[in-house]
Amino acid sequence: MKLRTFLASTALTATLATGALADGHGWSLKDAAAPYAGTTVDVVFLLRPGYEAIEAMLPAFEEETGIKINIIKHPYENALGEQVRDFVAGGDLDVALIDLVWIGNFAENDWILPLADVQAKFPDTVDPELDIDDFFPLVLNAFGGWNDTIYGLPVDNYSGLLFYNRCMLEDAGFDGPPATWADLKDVYGPALTGDGKYAYALQSKRNETQSADSFARMIWPFGGSFLDADFKSNLLSEESQAGLQFRQDLMQYMPDGVVAYDHAETVNGFAQGDIAMITEWSAFYSTVVSPDTSAVADCVEIAPEPTGPAGRKPALGGFSMAVASQADEAEQAAAYLFIQWATSKANAREYLERGGVPARQSVYMEDGLEDFKFVPALVESWQDGVPEFRPRFAEWPEITEIVQEWGTKMMLGEVTTEEGAMEIGERMEAVLEEAGYYSGEKPLAQ
Amino acid sequence: MTARVQRPLWGQIILLCLILLICVFPFYWMVTTSLKTHIVALQAPPAWIFEPTLQNYREALFEDGVLRTLINSLVIAVCTTMLAVILGVPAAFALARFEFRGKKDLWFWFITNRMVSPIVLALPFFLIARNLGMLDKHITLILIYLTFNLPIVIWIVTDQFRGIPYDLDEAARLEGASQFTIMTKICLPLAMPGVAVSSIFAFIFSWNELMFGLILTRSEAKTAPAMAVSFMEGYNLPYGKIMATSTLIVIPVLIFALLASKQLVRGLTMGAVK
Amino acid sequence: MRDKVSRRTIFAFIGPAVVALAAIGIVPLLYAGWTSLHFFNLTKLKKVKFIGLENYWDVLTDEVFWQAMGRTFFLLGTALPLQIGLGMVIALVLHQPGLTVLKTLARLSLVLPMATTYAVVGLLGQVMFNQKFGVVNQLMGGADINWIGDSTNAFAMIIFWDVWQWTPFVALVLLAGLTMVPDEVEEAARLETKSRWTVLRFVQLPFLLPGLVAVLILRTADTLKLFDMVFTLTRGGPGASTEFISLMIQRVGFRGFDQGLASAQAIILLIITIFLAQIYIRVFYKEV
Repeated sequence: MKLRTFLASTALTATLATGALADGHGWSLKDAAAPYAGTTVDVVFLLRPGYEAIEAMLPAFEEETGIKINIIKHPYENALGEQVRDFVAGGDLDVALIDLVWIGNFAENDWILPLADVQAKFPDTVDPELDIDDFFPLVLNAFGGWNDTIYGLPVDNYSGLLFYNRCMLEDAGFDGPPATWADLKDVYGPALTGDGKYAYALQSKRNETQSADSFARMIWPFGGSFLDADFKSNLLSEESQAGLQFRQDLMQYMPDGVVAYDHAETVNGFAQGDIAMITEWSAFYSTVVSPDTSAVADCVEIAPEPTGPAGRKPALGGFSMAVASQADEAEQAAAYLFIQWATSKANAREYLERGGVPARQSVYMEDGLEDFKFVPALVESWQDGVPEFRPRFAEWPEITEIVQEWGTKMMLGEVTTEEGAMEIGERMEAVLEEAGYYSGEKPLAQ
Repeated sequence: MTARVQRPLWGQIILLCLILLICVFPFYWMVTTSLKTHIVALQAPPAWIFEPTLQNYREALFEDGVLRTLINSLVIAVCTTMLAVILGVPAAFALARFEFRGKKDLWFWFITNRMVSPIVLALPFFLIARNLGMLDKHITLILIYLTFNLPIVIWIVTDQFRGIPYDLDEAARLEGASQFTIMTKICLPLAMPGVAVSSIFAFIFSWNELMFGLILTRSEAKTAPAMAVSFMEGYNLPYGKIMATSTLIVIPVLIFALLASKQLVRGLTMGAVK
Repeated sequence: MRDKVSRRTIFAFIGPAVVALAAIGIVPLLYAGWTSLHFFNLTKLKKVKFIGLENYWDVLTDEVFWQAMGRTFFLLGTALPLQIGLGMVIALVLHQPGLTVLKTLARLSLVLPMATTYAVVGLLGQVMFNQKFGVVNQLMGGADINWIGDSTNAFAMIIFWDVWQWTPFVALVLLAGLTMVPDEVEEAARLETKSRWTVLRFVQLPFLLPGLVAVLILRTADTLKLFDMVFTLTRGGPGASTEFISLMIQRVGFRGFDQGLASAQAIILLIITIFLAQIYIRVFYKEV
């Protein structure tokens, strides 16, 4: 692994040097793409704002390069299954869209190529302005990297933020958002709940939302985690239990059916003025501040997620795009050009303004971002975070199913937090055992 | 008719109206929701009077590619139905007219096919289609839909053949006609109603099928029900558009069902009630 | 009485159908059997290995599997009596003389639910049963019932839609049975007794039995197959309160990607289905 990283980084340095040289000759997207004009690149997109933004910008790319981008849209919950089936079938996809929890899976199956390999293979496609260090390191490593190798470039980037309705808070006598989870529950909760209004809602539907937005969001700030250092379940630890119990206690200030709420219901409840605070992904900013979709557009404010006893551990999520190994040469080169373009420094501002959330540090230092109120909180969240907020290894798809099932049962009160944690722990350890983590067959990487 | 007094006439009228209302109301709600803008669709409490818009249909059909999935569904349903008839009619004729060993078992095997959950076949079928490079192809769905269409055709048409007097065959055979000629020239014209009904059924079942469509297609051969499901992104649920797509999917099948309304029950029970 | 025809002729007629159904129905099953004996995870195809009956053991000892199975039969046990009861009422109403136009309309409207794409029924359910903007709560006088996010209510909602979609079928089957009762017999019985129940029990029921048997068989099979409507309505949630057997297998096989385990589950489901079908058919069904 070490050797490979070394080689990869050498290759990267080498290509960057080539790139710098090429710059002297005047690198241009048009010239770089010339050999691949007419190539069609197949890529999976989600039905989310960041993808609509790229789609809107796409004509410029297609015109300049002659490369055709064929977008196949799926809802998030189908996107993993669709891609896995495409890759095992040796299908058409040329770009993999990778949620950070899928990267271990995609990388270990060799469905995606390390970035350095692609750059080494097609040196002429590498933009000298790529400036990979401009990406937030946490984001690049968590969304695009696995085992010290970078595969994908971050494209659709999220951090958990506290969205709050300033007007509702002011009416209840608060001049700012809660700083800690404990305050949110004990001070803000009772004051803001009543008459069909709720202080808070935690999207908890039984899908990835349960694992990422609900379960993980509550264990980390309290010092809990999924796994301990030996990769055994840490869910029965005092800290994890404190987090899960906190979630149960907090439910009295949430709407009834929150266990069936997905993002849409939560954001809609907030946008209708029924819910005072939500912890949601940065990507929803455009939805809640647009008067077309939000009745409280003028009241929306953003803060970082509250802190717990273990500090601020905001939810981390997001997607990178990587070149698929199953694509043919021309498709790989064209795919790389597309990924590089979509995540480039030069396009970051436009992407942001069209509703996307770029992971480029430089764009957030620019002037005129006052309208994007989430920026300070976002930048703060990305300084320091937990990449293994949800473990990113190949076993996650199986484990998340277990967490989803028992996590929702816990919330419904069908099992206690201990019973639920025990069930998840046993089943999770069985999966990890099978995968060979305990026999030393596999390194303990998450 | 006797002059027996019909006491609860009003009760009967009310019940009948209730049946009508409960059966039709969801469709009314589906269509009206499909004509609402996103904001009106999410209005609480829901609006009964609003300004209708065709925007959802325009978007669904021309921007999101529902039109193409409808065409896919149409092509697949028509082809699989035709194939089921071509394969099923002779088999039905044999089951109705010939004596042979293992006939009962064969018949039982057909019945079982009607009962098997598609998930049982979906898993292995996916793996086989993958190995054969047949994923996301129309032909794959056309073939796998035979697992439920062929039994339908065979059952209904066997039943129909058996109802045709045997004397007709006899006469024809004395004139030297082959079994094939007897089937096509003598029996089939008389069994046409059964063929028609079973075709309508095969079409309806194929059109409505979701699981195989979801698992075995990606884009090229994506079917309309699989498309309807694919708007369900947790981020934003465009209910107006989802209902517009639903309306587009359901209308053709309802027309078909109304055409076959008389025979629908008989077809569904597969000759269990005589 | 029937012709003696050569094997060749028989095969020419029935062979293509048998071969086709075998190729698409049996070959995949054999493949599923093979898969079920292996550790076979779609995302770990490099690690496929023979593990004997381990998957079967895991399924048979997994309480979650049996809970899903129990839930499936519980749905059958609650929805089917409702369908038969309501179906009987509807059939009797439709069987009464008079009101021809209204009856024809009602009969036509009964056809609509059962032809509706099952997935669409679920989508429609999401819209109509939404706690906030759903028309169902509005029609219940502005009730604030949480249908989708509450275990019991969600199950009730599934029962509602199953009953909505399939009661018409039961009603029409029973109506077909009722029309089979010879008019003279029915008239004579009515002269004998004033009790509707007696007429139903002793005169009409014998004619309804074959239809009821068919309903029992088909509803059992369809409940074991139930997937589309629940998938689009609740996806098995909240918790596992509406996770029926076909949904569970789909989840294991296509979301957890453990195709080996899912194949074992599917084969056990198939065995249960065939077992039930055997019983039903041997006991009740007419034979060829």
